[in-house]
Amino acid sequence: MAIDPPDSPETVAARAGAWAARRSASAVADFFLDDSDRLDERTRLLLAKTLARVVGALDRAIRHHAARLLAQGGDDNAAERLLGIRDDVAEWLSRPGALPDELLEELIARVRHDLLADALPIQLREVDVPSLLVRLAEAPDPVVAAAAAALLAAESRQRDVIGGDTGLIAELHHRLAWRVAAALRTLAGGGAAIDRALVEAARRSIAAHDEGERVEAVAMRLALAIDARPAERGPLLIEALGDRRLALFVAVIAHALQIEFAEIRALVVSPVDERLWLCLRAAMLDRATVAQIALALAEADPRRDIEAFAHRLDMIVAVDPLAAAGALAPLALPGDYRAAIRGVTLR
Amino acid sequence: MNAPDRVVAGVLAARLDGGGRLLFADPQLAALNARAGGAIGQPLAVPALATIARLAVRLGIVVSRAVTVADDAADIEMWVRAAPEAIGVRMAVSGWREVAAWRPEGTPREPALAIAPGEWRWETDAGLRLTLISPSAGTRHGFDPFALLGQPLTALFAFDEDGDGLLPILAALAGRTRLEEQPARLRVSRAPLVLSAAVRADGKGVFAGLVGVARSVAGERPIPSEALPARFTEDLDRALRTPLARIVANADSIHAAAEGPIGSDYAGYAADIAGAGRHLLGLVDDLVDLDAIERPGFTLAAESIDLADVARRAAGLLAVRAGNARVAIVRPEGDASVPALGDFRRTLQILVNLIGNAMRYTPPGGQVVVEAFADGDAAGVRVTDHGKGIAVADQARIFDKFERLDPAEAGGNGLGLYIARRLARAMDGDLSVESAPGSGARFTLTLLSRESLPR
Repeated sequence: MAIDPPDSPETVAARAGAWAARRSASAVADFFLDDSDRLDERTRLLLAKTLARVVGALDRAIRHHAARLLAQGGDDNAAERLLGIRDDVAEWLSRPGALPDELLEELIARVRHDLLADALPIQLREVDVPSLLVRLAEAPDPVVAAAAAALLAAESRQRDVIGGDTGLIAELHHRLAWRVAAALRTLAGGGAAIDRALVEAARRSIAAHDEGERVEAVAMRLALAIDARPAERGPLLIEALGDRRLALFVAVIAHALQIEFAEIRALVVSPVDERLWLCLRAAMLDRATVAQIALALAEADPRRDIEAFAHRLDMIVAVDPLAAAGALAPLALPGDYRAAIRGVTLR
Repeated sequence: MNAPDRVVAGVLAARLDGGGRLLFADPQLAALNARAGGAIGQPLAVPALATIARLAVRLGIVVSRAVTVADDAADIEMWVRAAPEAIGVRMAVSGWREVAAWRPEGTPREPALAIAPGEWRWETDAGLRLTLISPSAGTRHGFDPFALLGQPLTALFAFDEDGDGLLPILAALAGRTRLEEQPARLRVSRAPLVLSAAVRADGKGVFAGLVGVARSVAGERPIPSEALPARFTEDLDRALRTPLARIVANADSIHAAAEGPIGSDYAGYAADIAGAGRHLLGLVDDLVDLDAIERPGFTLAAESIDLADVARRAAGLLAVRAGNARVAIVRPEGDASVPALGDFRRTLQILVNLIGNAMRYTPPGGQVVVEAFADGDAAGVRVTDHGKGIAVADQARIFDKFERLDPAEAGGNGLGLYIARRLARAMDGDLSVESAPGSGARFTLTLLSRESLPR
């Protein structure tokens, strides 16, 4: 760490003032927060870990490459300064406002998805039969087999403790790569040589990132390859849940309704969003399948009220698939377009 | 200890009519329902079973779930399956197992495996096909882990016999028990590994795969040692002491209503929290001590100390507590001096422990007598109480690790006397006890006197 000149009293006062204002704003926001909107401890903990993993992956990649570049250029001193940063970059970036909201929203959704997947009751279709993805990976259709094998691989990668990649969509990966580079620059004390090396290293990480290898993308590829007919959807969805392959479950619905993966995932992980039942109806699932899906999700997430669901099941099943699809039409619009509409109308 | 579990084999059946009333039940189920206040012709009286039956009817699908039903002194674990019929519900109950009602060592639903640095994960499905391999394994051992996903477990590992000529994995799969210490080699590189794995079961308890970790064997295997790894106690100390101290401090200030008035119940809870926190802090101290004294080659400095002075200081440290407990501590006279050889801090620790114990067993109004003495080559301190005493048969046992004569008694964790004696012996001294039930106990700490030094 470089030794900074002592801050002027004005700087100290301004920084403390900004900090106090932020604290106060957080306290007010917290007071008006509904309990069901609050992150529970498990989600919060896993979010911090996921953030550390994602930022850690980029930190290592960018820092090491930049240091190599600096050393190759003969600037050992700058390389050492970069490598010698002891501050935790993830922690440094975990201050309010240091990371884009979209990134945190994506990570929270992913964490909720993983927690739900891990809690799903395992239901074997038959004893001593390979599980769903393993079977699909051996399917005669090479497109299905390749996609299933890729999903097995992507889920392995995402669960790896060390993690070499962020698994984010390209845009978020780009933005995060620049933030990490900026954090490293600040922590290393800046300098033109360091800037140049960090820029090149960040660009390299951005170029190497393949958003097609994300779990979500691979699951969508598999759903597309399977292209389940309405009659095949029910058994496929039930088996995906029973094998804790929640990403495939989401992808099959998303593919059936031509809605983005993230939209369906948000509905599936929410314990209260009624639109999930509309999705299941729009996908032309029958009463027994809808009930089995609801039961499995309720077993995995105790916040879901299965009794209340049972009370409404007849009503849900009475909804015509076409009417359900119509009600979901806004979800099928591109996310950016809907965000833009929200942004325009909220002002 | 838990009573042996009682198991009912086979499947028990029951049928309900359209209104949820019990039409028929096998004897065990009927008896359980009767104990819960139900009868044939009336609604099911066991809430967990009634819920499942009602859900099955309302959802119109088979609902099956593992439940635990409280029944008198025992809990009954069972797997319940409710299938809706044209009119009513057919219920099947399997895996009936009675267990003692409260078990401190509960089995987690998903046995968690801790991953240490240098280890990597693998998982299989029920058919032992690989469903997950840490990509880091591929980097470390130079193979493509993704190519192996979906392949049989044996495509990744070759299993070796263990020291007893057995294959632990066979026992684990046959008994559906945790896999420990399975020697294996990586097929691609022949790298020796040790595997362990937890068994994953589906809701019905049917084998659903393995969740495992692999550890590289670098040359020798670590020799399991009774002492905890050095880092462990250090980490424990660091990880627990600060948060515990903060818990105790905050709970104390809540108890004192320092931040403003609070309900007396809450003040009482806060005092309990502070008390429990202090107990844990004491345990951390003891574990750190234990770890130190159980390391090979543990010795203590032999410096010149005055045992009478150390005894007076120890009594002084406990004076406030003694006052609160209305126990008098009789300490060595102010001018008495008993020169000895030992470590000042550790000797003080031993005496505080002995006097604290003596106070705990002394009724209000009683006294604890602390005397220092010199006897030829030995110097020592006697701590005498007039409590309930210790039976001869128990006198050796109290110096063992984690031994407490009356586990119901408050305070202490069963390590104090064990540590005190080990410390005394590390200073070439000893700690002994004389007692008879009903007439108190006398603990004697002896150390080498200064005269024993060869001149």
